Amino acid sequence: MVDEKSEIAHGLRRRDPDLLDRLIEQYQHRLLRYLLSLTRNRATAEDLFQETWIRVLERGHQYDGKHEFSTWLFSVSRHLVIDFFRRKQPASLNGLLEDEDKPMDPPASGQPSAFDLVAHRELSERIAVGLDHVAAEYREALVLRFQEGLSLEEISVVTGAPLGTVKSRVYRGLSALQPLLKGIRA
Amino acid sequence: MNNTGITKNDHLRARQMLALADAAQLPAADRAWLESHLEACDSCRAFAQDAGDLVRALRSIPVAADRTLVAATQMRVRLRARELRQRDERLWLVGVSCVVVTLTAALTNLACWRGFTWLVERTHVSAATWPAAFVALFIVPALAASVLLLAKGTHLAEHNR
Repeated sequence: MVDEKSEIAHGLRRRDPDLLDRLIEQYQHRLLRYLLSLTRNRATAEDLFQETWIRVLERGHQYDGKHEFSTWLFSVSRHLVIDFFRRKQPASLNGLLEDEDKPMDPPASGQPSAFDLVAHRELSERIAVGLDHVAAEYREALVLRFQEGLSLEEISVVTGAPLGTVKSRVYRGLSALQPLLKGIRA
Repeated sequence: MNNTGITKNDHLRARQMLALADAAQLPAADRAWLESHLEACDSCRAFAQDAGDLVRALRSIPVAADRTLVAATQMRVRLRARELRQRDERLWLVGVSCVVVTLTAALTNLACWRGFTWLVERTHVSAATWPAAFVALFIVPALAASVLLLAKGTHLAEHNR
């Protein structure tokens, strides 16, 4: 029986439009959330969302089916984000830390669980805003680890950073967000 | 080290475990060590609670792609897929044309070679001369075309200067 990764790899090599439709549906929220975490701007994230899928179509033959598709997808979109910011201003992803003209847009719509929204609303809003002030590489690591559920090894593949660096980013990112809790509990 | 025997490294180790791994995924020995450390250490217990709250909050930040974006993306991808398919078809035609031209050229060369041989036998031209004439027959048109194109290019370059 052909596993899902091989099936996707085979479909991408054939540039199967039905498969791509399905993948866009399946990964829409995760990809947009990741792009938002990197760009901090919804319009930019949506442009890059479309570009990512065009790139997936054009470079689909490069997906080997060995890693999870999501890992490869995030890697593709990450390169596009870096290219975008290099065109916009000659700076690395780390240099975006000083980019203060793009506050994170409010979320577009709600998650399925209304209970979660109510229970964590204040904290979530605070964390969403707080993420904006966390270093870009830490923010990326946190989003990939806790929102997208990637393993540390997968994050290492996506970002191209050594495993030790990824661990450090996750730990430091979490520590950087911790003071936000104090304000809410006080 | 304080009077409980806990060192700074113990705190760091415990916090990294809490931040980087799900407790269930930790090896049994590490999990046991972490549990005993958390029992003895108030600050790491507080960190564990904070980390749990933060992770839950991160997971509940609502971000969703809207329907229009998804539909527009799907349409763009389909259009681009069609363009790529048409480009591939054109490339295939060019490839086939190249093969046909190569085969035709090879057959023409063969025919010309035999024609020359027949002609040489009839006209008694020396064996050292006729291969040069044969090569010239193929090279002269290409050389003439090159010279003409070069002349035209030089003329245009001077005209645009």
